[in-house]
Amino acid sequence: MTISLNVNGQKYEVDDSPDTPLLWVLRDTLKLSGTKYGCGIESCGACTVLVDGRQVRSCGLTLDEVGAKAVTTIEGLSPDSGHPVQQAWVELGVPECGYCQTGMIMAVVSLLARNTSPSDQDIDRTITNICRCGTYNRVRAAIHRAAELMA
Amino acid sequence: MSTITKLSRRDFLKTTGFAGGGLLLGLTGTAAAAEAAEHTAFELPPFVSILPDGAIQVGMPASEMGQGIHTGLAALLAEELKIEMDQITSMETIHHPVFRNGPVSYLTSGVLNTQITGGSLSMYAFYGAFRKMGATAREMLRGAAAERWSVSIDQCRATGGRVTQVATGESLGYGELAKDAARQTVPEDPPLTSPADYRLIGTRVPRVDTPAKINGSALFGIDIELPGMLYGAVRHCPVFDSKLSGVDDSVTKAIPGVIAVIPMESFVIVVATNTWIAMQGADALVLQTTGGDPGFGDVDIDKRLQQALDGSAPGAVVATEGDSEAALASAASRMHFEYTVSLQAHSPMEPPCATAWITEDRCEVWAPTQVQDSTAMIAGMISQFPPEKIHIHTPYLGGSFGRKTSPDYVVPALVASKVTGHPVKVTWSRTEDIQHDKYLPPFRVRIDVGLDDNGVPGSLSAKLAGPSPSLPMVQMVGQYFPPWLGEDGYDWAVCVGMFDFSTRAGSYPIPNLEVGYVPTDIPVPVGFWRSIGTVHNAFALESALDEIAHARELDPIALRSQLLKDNSRALAVLDRVTEVSNWGGTLTEGRYQGMGYIYYLECYQAQVAEVSVDNRGRVKVHRITCVIDCGQAINPAIVEAQIQGAIIYALSATLKRQINIENGRVVQGNFDDYPAPKMKEVPAIDVHIINSGESPAGIGEAGTPLVGPAVANAVFAATGKRVRRLPIMRSDLS
Repeated sequence: MTISLNVNGQKYEVDDSPDTPLLWVLRDTLKLSGTKYGCGIESCGACTVLVDGRQVRSCGLTLDEVGAKAVTTIEGLSPDSGHPVQQAWVELGVPECGYCQTGMIMAVVSLLARNTSPSDQDIDRTITNICRCGTYNRVRAAIHRAAELMA
Repeated sequence: MSTITKLSRRDFLKTTGFAGGGLLLGLTGTAAAAEAAEHTAFELPPFVSILPDGAIQVGMPASEMGQGIHTGLAALLAEELKIEMDQITSMETIHHPVFRNGPVSYLTSGVLNTQITGGSLSMYAFYGAFRKMGATAREMLRGAAAERWSVSIDQCRATGGRVTQVATGESLGYGELAKDAARQTVPEDPPLTSPADYRLIGTRVPRVDTPAKINGSALFGIDIELPGMLYGAVRHCPVFDSKLSGVDDSVTKAIPGVIAVIPMESFVIVVATNTWIAMQGADALVLQTTGGDPGFGDVDIDKRLQQALDGSAPGAVVATEGDSEAALASAASRMHFEYTVSLQAHSPMEPPCATAWITEDRCEVWAPTQVQDSTAMIAGMISQFPPEKIHIHTPYLGGSFGRKTSPDYVVPALVASKVTGHPVKVTWSRTEDIQHDKYLPPFRVRIDVGLDDNGVPGSLSAKLAGPSPSLPMVQMVGQYFPPWLGEDGYDWAVCVGMFDFSTRAGSYPIPNLEVGYVPTDIPVPVGFWRSIGTVHNAFALESALDEIAHARELDPIALRSQLLKDNSRALAVLDRVTEVSNWGGTLTEGRYQGMGYIYYLECYQAQVAEVSVDNRGRVKVHRITCVIDCGQAINPAIVEAQIQGAIIYALSATLKRQINIENGRVVQGNFDDYPAPKMKEVPAIDVHIINSGESPAGIGEAGTPLVGPAVANAVFAATGKRVRRLPIMRSDLS
């Protein structure tokens, strides 16, 4: 039995087991490897994607829970890396190893969709992704910059 | 240190025109090249090729794990080759015998004579070589143009990927000249760009890897996909040193999609049709084990370290100078301190993972490795193929911090591919990562000082006790490395930072000195954790100096300035940090400062931490100010990022978490019980670079060691409570 999935505006039929976390469907079945595995317990945020426009940690959402909802991954964020959050990331040279950055960017996109001018406290509360390289200070600056670009 | 191998200068340049008719340049040679004494002249053979269509391909000797080395080295080459960064068309980490890291080999007495990205030594190792490569290629391209036009080489100017004839304005692209350039005589000493003409060196060149890292296209170790690939997971015997005596895999094998269960000596590999099924299968295994020490715990670690300190063995000699015993006996006053650092895991965001494909006639490995040579050696052992049939690919590392220096995580992928005949990617779960790491070794450090009438230490005796991280690596790749680094147990990796040979020149010139290291066995695997031995050594030394300063009512910075009064680079750093941190000035109410100084990786550095401590013993770090003289900063933006990152990395081990051992195994298992700092906990971090114009130093690990002592010293200023163990626990302060 296959399950249909709507990822980055495209329809997919997958035959993974319904209890498979979305993360592994994206990575291993759809080969969309921009979404990363970090902890498997929704703690680190490396696997963050948008589901109906809101940030979700895809390791904690099963295939059958996703259903027909619209999933956006980093690959579907913009055709040319031109999303204001991506632009701000380039401008401020945010990434180091880069592994957590795709999840970080998706979380920020979700934040800015709801709060066009987040305060530092808003950022602290909403962006709880882990970055072991310690890019946080630049991430914060880039969020403010992206907000400017989107204004 | 008993066995320093002298390396000889045996590099020579070689060029080859190749089939496509381009210019291929490589410094070739069998040995790491340079006299041990002249570090900055280490030249190893990088690799650049200029194709007829103008494409410029650069082979990188170092793994890119976030430290920005690809950008840094490419900028050196581009500077000399007179091209823009975006004219480099491809850049890839290459596994090649001539890419061995000379300084690492030197520092480890030849034990790690290998291609390794570690010790913050890549820039140090390849700075000269990459500049020379660029300059050599440039001169040969100019020479080719001069011949083509029958003019003198002075008439040929290289810029922007073209050579222009000054008199006529006529120009040829590098690609058009490449074939002829390859036939030019290789210049011995091509002129290097003078600092006044630098376009790229010393500037904030944007990182070359950023574009791919913001759109999901960057290829990390965990992202490899191959035709017919299977996916694997592992499950280790939980108790260290225990072995598998049996495994019940009935539940695992009943999971649809599980293809194979492969028991090994101390772990089991599960192969499946996707990673999720493999991880579920690994979780469902019931392991029967034997051996190990299931009674072992934290208390036993402390006991062993204390016994090692209290024992009569003086340990391997780290430093000796004057007569510390006599000087201690006759000192005006004496002080005695002991400090302890606990186990820590690395937990890079990308867990250990590797892909292997063993076919009938070759073995390929894709691993996010810091050490290509040991990866190749393990691949040879398992595939039984000779080196020429082994191919190691190095995608981006999703962080490492020393974790991926150990090739242990490559074994399951190789075995699984050999057994199944398919390419297999094995990904460790976060729990496997945290519970089967090669941990930061726990250490206990004893310091005795003799003070003169002014409170200045005139003698110091120190003893270090803890396990050696180099030994396991030596054992793992036994036939490749000789045993131990020193016959007496000396291991530079854990002695660095306590007046050892590599940090002594910029450390405190105390006239009477005795430092010994007593290797202490514990049944927990340890390894290389960002900034290695300086974690415990800087914590001990910089805390002790703070204790002395407070006991004698001296300003902590003034005491260090007094000790370092003849060291102008150190004094410049201390003066600057006094100024920019507002040291001794008025702070926000409830905030207190503490500081530390270190000379490490040829960087002179001071950090000031500004903290507050609430009445429940919770420490908040508000700001860390770092002043660093790292010689020529090739790319100040990368230096700042590395220092900030190293500080945050160290904060996790100072305040946030530790690995506990109970019943012979690790207690923690994921980011819920082994948390990492998040956005809201990160302080403001100000990095001030002093450009002394000296040769470039290492930067990747430089920022880590001072965080522990600076924060602990600030906590003392805030509470009057002296922290002598890291991490700082609330229970120590409430």
